[in-house]
Amino acid sequence: MSYPSERVAGAPTTAKTTYSKQWLVLVALGITAACVFLAAASLGAIPVSPLDLFMERAGRTMQRTVLLEIRLPRVLLAAFVGAALAVAGASLQALFRNPLADPGLIGVSGGAAVGAIAMIVFGTTFAVDALMPYLVPLSAVAGASGVTLFLYAFSRQFGNFSVTTMLLVGIALNALAQVGIGAFEYLSDDTQLRTLVFWMMGSFGRGTWTTVLPSVAVISIAVAILLLDARRLDILQLGESDARNLGVDVDGLKKRVILASAAAVGAGVAVAGIVVFIGLVVPHLVRLLGGARNPYVLTGSMFLGAALTVVADLVARTVVLPAELPVGLVTSALGAPFFLWLIARTRPQ
Amino acid sequence: MVQRRSLVVCAAALLAAAQQASACDESVDPARIAVAGGSVTEILYALGAGSSIVAADRTSNYPAEALSLPSVGYVRALSAEGVLSLEPTVLIGEDDMGPPEVIAQIKSAGVPTIIVPEVHSASGIIDKVRCIGRLVNRDQEAADLIDNTLTPIVAAINATASGSDGRKPRGAVLLGLRDGAPLGAGLETSGDGLLDMAAAANVFDMFSGWKPVSMEAMLQADPDFFVIPERGLNDAGGLDALLEHPALRLTKAAKEKRVITMDGMTMLGFGPRTLGAANTLAMSLYDNDPEAESSD
Repeated sequence: MSYPSERVAGAPTTAKTTYSKQWLVLVALGITAACVFLAAASLGAIPVSPLDLFMERAGRTMQRTVLLEIRLPRVLLAAFVGAALAVAGASLQALFRNPLADPGLIGVSGGAAVGAIAMIVFGTTFAVDALMPYLVPLSAVAGASGVTLFLYAFSRQFGNFSVTTMLLVGIALNALAQVGIGAFEYLSDDTQLRTLVFWMMGSFGRGTWTTVLPSVAVISIAVAILLLDARRLDILQLGESDARNLGVDVDGLKKRVILASAAAVGAGVAVAGIVVFIGLVVPHLVRLLGGARNPYVLTGSMFLGAALTVVADLVARTVVLPAELPVGLVTSALGAPFFLWLIARTRPQ
Repeated sequence: MVQRRSLVVCAAALLAAAQQASACDESVDPARIAVAGGSVTEILYALGAGSSIVAADRTSNYPAEALSLPSVGYVRALSAEGVLSLEPTVLIGEDDMGPPEVIAQIKSAGVPTIIVPEVHSASGIIDKVRCIGRLVNRDQEAADLIDNTLTPIVAAINATASGSDGRKPRGAVLLGLRDGAPLGAGLETSGDGLLDMAAAANVFDMFSGWKPVSMEAMLQADPDFFVIPERGLNDAGGLDALLEHPALRLTKAAKEKRVITMDGMTMLGFGPRTLGAANTLAMSLYDNDPEAESSD
């Protein structure tokens, strides 16, 4: 297994040039993300852009509503979910020291889905409808945390995962998630089933301010926690005992990373459904651009994850106008070939 | 069971009546109509309002002209901006249009959104025609369609059924095979409504909704006939493959090869065509003619 972090310990003489290059890449990615965000907010079935607001051209109330109530929450949600998935993917890859840890592939998103569905089916019996926008993400975060904790306990039991083991465990966990989803589908009555079907068709198009804002808040906090732990994740690459000797509270770090990744993924899945491959592809692209230092990889993943997901959603909602494609279709079309290439590359020699 | 069922029907009818009072009486501008639901499209064309439709969803496959309309996606996965970009003056849909967040977005952009009440019965179809007629200011055309076409079909079905000894044929409506198990229509489904309209009894009155039916439950129910949409039959691999399926093989219907196939939207869309489908079904059942229509 050739995990790129080996390069970190590698050549200290080039450290300075690497740092300045990484800064450059980060600035470029940040600008790209901002441009993509503006472009996505300006493009769509109805011609209206945020610039019109300032120039008071959006005189027609319909266009104003489209921009403020439909397009902005949608683009914002896509950006945050993309950032969350990419940062969570990068963090999990560092934590498991395994390059194929993608929240979708290893079952974390599936766990979130089961959590969300459980709340959709059973929540209505004890909760008021007004609380559902908060309870569904909360339950999704709980589901995602459960799976991540299980994965971690499992990997402790059997030593570190090999790439293959991690994928096999992911297949098993995703199958279990399907069982959970199927069972809830069977248990739900007609109205719940309908909500469930809508939910499973996951798309950023369902983003309204009431559903987007709780998710955005949770994702912001979770991503901030992960970014603050990025340097400690670097030290963890040396191995747990070395990291302890260097003064890192390894157990606390693991708990934080697991819970924060699960929270980021769960909050996204609860509103947008399962979007695969962003958490896998983005960190790898960022490493290819400028190296494997985790503070750099996590920050870069945040920008690139947001940009790529916003673009994927833009494609999904504009290619078959006036209808739209499922966004998962677009990310999978981008991600699956990349995934194959990655497997070919990490194949044991 | 019968009691529970009549209770459900009563409640549904009351609910529908309450909804109808609000939804169908709304005054809207029918100049540019966006439609989400095949039966609504079918009715609009039947009332001569087809030219006012600016967009329809993917279940709107009848009449053939509807296929050339801009598609706003599947009825349950509409796109808010996509619908709004066609500048409709009103969105008329069936009760399963969604997702709810998207419908709310369309409403908030100032497009009136009407959900036509759905009751899976002959009177439900007639009410739907009347409702849509009122919405688009074509009450007269709606009344003509009801009096000249729909009511006579209901009468014809009753006449067909009354000619028999009073024993209702017992059948099952299947959507197809999902993960190998046949997906059967329980109570409160469009399939149950179709059987009831055709004066037939539903063998799956022990559960509600569409559910996968186990081998033994199927044998215990032992239907006299199956009704399945063409698409479901094709997905199952054709008539022979369906009848060879372990869950169906030993039923009376499979042994006598009594399988009726129809276009899915004709059969379960609950537009005017569904009443015709019920009539066809009733005739083939009560004639005691073992007519097994096959699509291959």
